[in-house]
Parts: sequence; structure tokens; C-alpha cells
Amino acid sequence: MSMKQNSDLRLAAYFGPGDIIPHCGEMSRNEIVRKLVEDIYRCGRIPPIGIDETVKAVLERESDGSTVIMDGLALPHARIEGLAEPRIAVATSERGVEWPGEESAVHVIFLLLIPQDKPALYLQILRALTTALKDDATLHTVSAMTNAGEIHRFFESGKAYLPRYITAADIMSRDFLTLKDTDTLQTCVDTFIKKHVSEVAVLDHDGDLKGVVRAGELLRVCLPEYLLWMSDLSPIANFEPFAQVLENERRTWLSEILVKEFPCVTPDTPAVQVAGEMTRFKSSKCYVREGGKLVGIVRLPKFLNKIFRE
Amino acid sequence: MKFNPKIIFLALIVAGVSLGGRAIGLAENMTQTTTLAVFAGVIATTLFFWERRVAAAFIGVTILISTRAMTLQSILKATELDIIFFLIGMMIVVGVLKDLGFLTWVIQSIINRRKMTGISFTAILCVLSAVLASVVDEVSSIVVVLALVFQVCDMLKLRPHPFVLIAVMATNIGSSATMLGNPVGIFIGNKAGLTFAQFLVGATPVAVAALTATLALTVFWFRRDIRNMTLAMARHRRMGLGPVLKIPYKTGLFILLSTVSVIAFHHQIEHALSLGGVENKNAFLIMTPLIVAGLLMIWRPHRARHYVEKDVEWWTLLFFMLLFAIAGSLNEQGITQNLADTLTSHVKGGPSGMIPFVLTIASLGSAFVDNIVFVAAFTPVIQALVERAADYSVLWWALLFGACFGGNITVVGSTANIVASGLLEKHGHSPIKFGTWFKLGAIVGLVTGLIAWAMLAILPLPHPASAEREAPPAQTAPTELPSLGNV
Repeated sequence: MSMKQNSDLRLAAYFGPGDIIPHCGEMSRNEIVRKLVEDIYRCGRIPPIGIDETVKAVLERESDGSTVIMDGLALPHARIEGLAEPRIAVATSERGVEWPGEESAVHVIFLLLIPQDKPALYLQILRALTTALKDDATLHTVSAMTNAGEIHRFFESGKAYLPRYITAADIMSRDFLTLKDTDTLQTCVDTFIKKHVSEVAVLDHDGDLKGVVRAGELLRVCLPEYLLWMSDLSPIANFEPFAQVLENERRTWLSEILVKEFPCVTPDTPAVQVAGEMTRFKSSKCYVREGGKLVGIVRLPKFLNKIFRE
Repeated sequence: MKFNPKIIFLALIVAGVSLGGRAIGLAENMTQTTTLAVFAGVIATTLFFWERRVAAAFIGVTILISTRAMTLQSILKATELDIIFFLIGMMIVVGVLKDLGFLTWVIQSIINRRKMTGISFTAILCVLSAVLASVVDEVSSIVVVLALVFQVCDMLKLRPHPFVLIAVMATNIGSSATMLGNPVGIFIGNKAGLTFAQFLVGATPVAVAALTATLALTVFWFRRDIRNMTLAMARHRRMGLGPVLKIPYKTGLFILLSTVSVIAFHHQIEHALSLGGVENKNAFLIMTPLIVAGLLMIWRPHRARHYVEKDVEWWTLLFFMLLFAIAGSLNEQGITQNLADTLTSHVKGGPSGMIPFVLTIASLGSAFVDNIVFVAAFTPVIQALVERAADYSVLWWALLFGACFGGNITVVGSTANIVASGLLEKHGHSPIKFGTWFKLGAIVGLVTGLIAWAMLAILPLPHPASAEREAPPAQTAPTELPSLGNV
């Protein structure tokens, strides 16, 4: 997948050798967080709130869920109101630091303080880091470095660029349910009920995304348009039309009822375009398709969390 | 940027009409030429850029005012607000009928029938389309009957396309039967000064004959699909065509019958209220839908805003108003009189000789541009001819049937056709191809056109009230057109 990079936005520009603690020793997660925050203050790049408040904000975020984004790499962070520029401090540990909630030890810790009014920045930094520390070997190389200048140079000379914008690929989930267009209405209803979902992607026999089925559409099948012309539906108070659909559910194929107009983007579509598509279609999901195949789904709650909270 | 070749066609049409008009004497000066160019431009836009028709009409009106082809006052006068009010009233009444479940009942009463065959369904579909179109309007009618078609075809797992075509053709024909069926009907009826009853007496027999012929033609044309439907219905007899429901309909039926009855007797009511003279022409015909709509909105105040905002096709009405204004400019500039002169000097045989000419021109015109566009353009010409001799009033009928029946020829021939195509796609079906439509449409258009010609030639047709009132006795029955000098 191609990612446009902006040479003006090097990750290394947001921290200097003085913000790096190589081989931090046997410290706990909370001690490392406090030490890194204090380093940021000591370097004169002081956030508008005090050290204690900053540490509290970072640890509160940690308590919502671990910030270990890949094996050995943790990204403790907080959004700070009134902060003009992001602040980054780094700690490494060749032996590894025990991280609450994680089975394996963490070797590289990036502490991020993000301005509250720059919602995409966390995701941009995240993207830059995962690109730079793309595998275990690179991560261990960095954690083995003994000199802060050497670590800084690694990020300066490597591929740690912030992307111009975050894309659908950055915020999509790769776990999703699908049905086939040859599945029946019965299968679809069962899926909705058992899996507690209200919308499922439908693929054809080649695995290409053909459309979606929504619980709302099933109601449309049960309640033909001409019945909905009436403002008062008391003549069908006993769900008579639903009985007809029940009789037919094994002979109604999803290809007959699937919706072909739905929010759909490619993985490199800017996230804001994804938001636009979901708004346009009044949908809480946006499908990410690459070469006809479904590769991910952006879900609105996760999208909101990524943009506003994480 | 990719250049759209349609723009070249549009420019060629505008240039061709303007220069051609100048060459044959329709436009004699620069203002007339500009007027002709604006009109041709708006018509060509409806042909090539359907979705931009309102924008084109806005610009057209602005050009007419800027070039002094029309004044602001004459534009406002030419917008035919009486027709617009009538249509607004009827749209609200139809919205209430939908809301009350009357139109649902119409569909449901057919779905509830257990013993049907492909033939009986097709016949019911044809008659229902025509009758509904004649008492509500063609667009509401096609939405209702296609809901029926989709329900039945989805249930039987059949292609709906043949039945969509049958329904659309019957709708277009049925819409000519009364003044209520088509904006073209109320426009022509009002311009001609026909009462509702006169219109009914003149139009309905021709519409019925055309509908019968169309039913026979389409049953033959789609015999295989109809036979498949019969077989599918036999297989589904136990399950039926949909849920069997009892929908209340009496209130809706009462409203519809009351509205149509009051409209049918508008002339007598106007007489009783002493609403005479040209200034009150068809006053109660126009007012009735507004009165009924007003009463219905008083009765259902919580739904009133919905009826006005959602059930009235403001986009279409705005286009009509601007179009009428632009067509009025042809009259104001004397272009229609020039065209009337040209026609009478070239088409021999008096009114009878001109019937096939108007029928053909209106049919072909309506096949490619919205029929109201063509009627709006041709109306002043017929008005000019009728002013010369009352017998030319037969051309109102030729214009009506040409415009309505001609709408069947192509997929863009009438609003009902375009709505039907959109509904087909909305329901996940492929659209009907231009060639598929044209093959049947051309035959139906030709046959129904011939029927209209024959019936107009032999049937005694009601004379428009205005013609009776306004034409001097010596001019009531000429066999040949008087020379222009005598007019």
C-alpha cells in the first residue's frame, strides 16, 4: 500500500537525544512514565499542566487498555489541552520492562503527549512508528543501542516519517463477518440474531464484495413500500406480511435483497473522506475494498475513539 | 477536461433553429431570433441534460428579460399560475390518499385475488394504470402500479420489465382521458376553454380505443412472459401474490370521488356562482383541488406540512412555470403567429388536413422531449389558428393525443417513463434498453396515433367553451382557411 510521506514531518523532529533514556534498568511501567514526563519538563518543553497531572492523564489512558501496539513496543500517551506541539520521550530496555496486562516484556517505550486539538496526530505518529519499527529484529536493534544519540540518529535516518494524513487502512478493522450472495434470508436472519449485528457484507462466489444486507432492509422486505405509504399501520398490527416472508425465507437469496449502494473506499483513502462517506450514507460503517476484495471495515465507534480519544 | 459532445449537438440545435427560423420567416428581427434561440436551448437541454433543465430555464428567463424579449410582468403573467395551483392541489390530495391507505388498498385488492392468470393480471394492470392515471396523475399512477408489478414479480421470481412497459404505456394513454391525468391535459383543456365534461366526452372514447388496441398489442408482444406468469401463478396458488390484508379504503375513496365529482361539475358550479367571463374561465376547476387540499389539511393538521413539503413536486412545478414563461415569449414576440401563417400556407386541407400533421409532430416531439415542453410550445400556434377559425379547435385534441400517445415511443417520452426507469433501477433491475422500448413504443405510438386520427376525423367533438363564446358566427364552420388578409 502506498503512503504519501512528508519530509517536513520527521518523527525525530519531535524529540531530541535529551528526551531518550537508553537502558532504563529495572523500572516499573509507572516509574518509566513518570521519568519520561519529568524528562520532557527538564528539557524545557513544558506542557501547560503539571507533572503529576500529566502522569495521571497518561496512566488513566493506560488503565482504559494497554497501549502496546506491537510486540515489544508500547506507546503510552495522553491528549493534553493547551499543548501547541506534540511532546515525545523515549525509553529502551534490552532486558525488557514488565507491562501490566501484557504477557511479553516491552523493549521500546514511546511516551506521547498530543495536543487536544490535533486529533489525527496520534494516528500519524503511530503510523510512522509502526513503519520504522516494522519487525522484531529492528525493535531489538533499537533496544540494544546504548547511546541516546545513536537511537535518535536511527529515527532520523530511517523511515520514520509522519504520513500527510491518516487513511482508511489506519483506522479499519480486519476482523469482519461476511455472507455469500447465495446464502438465504434465513441464514442472514440467524446471523443478525446470533451475532448481534445489524449489517453484514455480502460477497460473491469469487470473494468480491457485492453489497451489504442490513437489518433495516429485512424490514423493507417484510414491509413492502406500498404498505409504508400508510401513516397508520394498524391494519397489519399482527405482522401479517412477516408471515409471508417467513414462508419464503429459505427461497429468498441475499442477491435479491442486498443493498448495492453503501459507503465504500480504498485503503489509501484519507480518513476524513471515510467520515464523509459514512455521513453521506448515514451509515455507521464504511467498507474498505481493494481490487474488488473486502479488506477491512471502518466502524464509527472505533473511528470516533481513534480521532477523539486515543 | 473531457469535452462533452452533447454540448456541440445542443449548440447546433440552437444555431439551426435560430438560423432556420430566420430563413423561413419565423423570426424577423434580432429579438425574435434570440427568443427562438432561448426556447430551442431550453428544449435541447431537456433532451441532452435532463437534470439541468431547471437551471437552463432559469438562465433562459434571465436572457429573455435582459434582451427585452419579455418584461418581468409578462414573464410572471405567462407562468400559468392557475395550472400550477391546480397541480399543487391535486398533488396534496393524492398525498392524502396515499397517507390514508387508499392507494395501498388499490394494490392490496389485486394481491388478495387468488385466482389469476397472466392474461387477467395484464388486463387488470392495463385498466388500473389507465384509470388511476386518469383520476390521479400519471406519476402517482405509475408509482402505484409499479409497486404492484414489483410485488407480484418478486413473489413469482419473474422479470418485471414486460409488465413495467405495459403499465407505462397504459398510464400514458389513460392520462389523456381526463384533465386530471396529465399536466398536458389541464394545460390544453384550460387553454382551449374546455370544461371538464367536454374534455371527458372528447378524450375518453379515444383513450379507451387506444387502450384496447395497446392491450391487444402488448399481450401479443409479451405472450411468452404472460404465459410464464400464468405458470408461476399456478405454482404459487397456495401462497398467493403477497400477504392477504384488509386495508381500510372508504375515507380515501370518498375523498377521491368527492374531488372528481366537484371537478366534473365545475362548469355548473361556476354558472350557479355567476363566475362567468374569460377572467373566471374554469375558475372552479382550478379551485377545487385547492379547496379539497385545504379542507384535508385542516382535518389532518399534523400531516399538513408533510403533504406540502413531500408530496408536492416543487422541482417539476418550478420547471413548468419557467417553461410556460419561455413558451409565452414566443407568443409575445409574434413567433407563434408567424409559425401559424407558415403552417396554414404549407399544410392544405384546413383543420382536417392539419390533424395528422399536428398528431405526427406532437408525437415525434413528445417522444424525445418531455411532452409538456412540446405542448407549451405548440399551444400558442393552435391558439393563433383557432382565433382565425373555430374549427381549428380540433387541433387541441390532436395536440393532446399526439403528446400523450407519443410519450410511449421512447424511454424519455414522458415523466411516467422516466419515473418507471428509475424505479426499476431502484429495485435492483437493469433498465429497459432504448432499443427494446423503441421497438414496442414505435408500434404502439403508430397504432394509437392512427386510432386518434381516425376518431378525430369521424367523431363529433365538443367545441371549447371559449370558441363558442368568442368566435363570431360566420367563422364557426369554415372548410378552408380564410386568407390572412380577412382575419
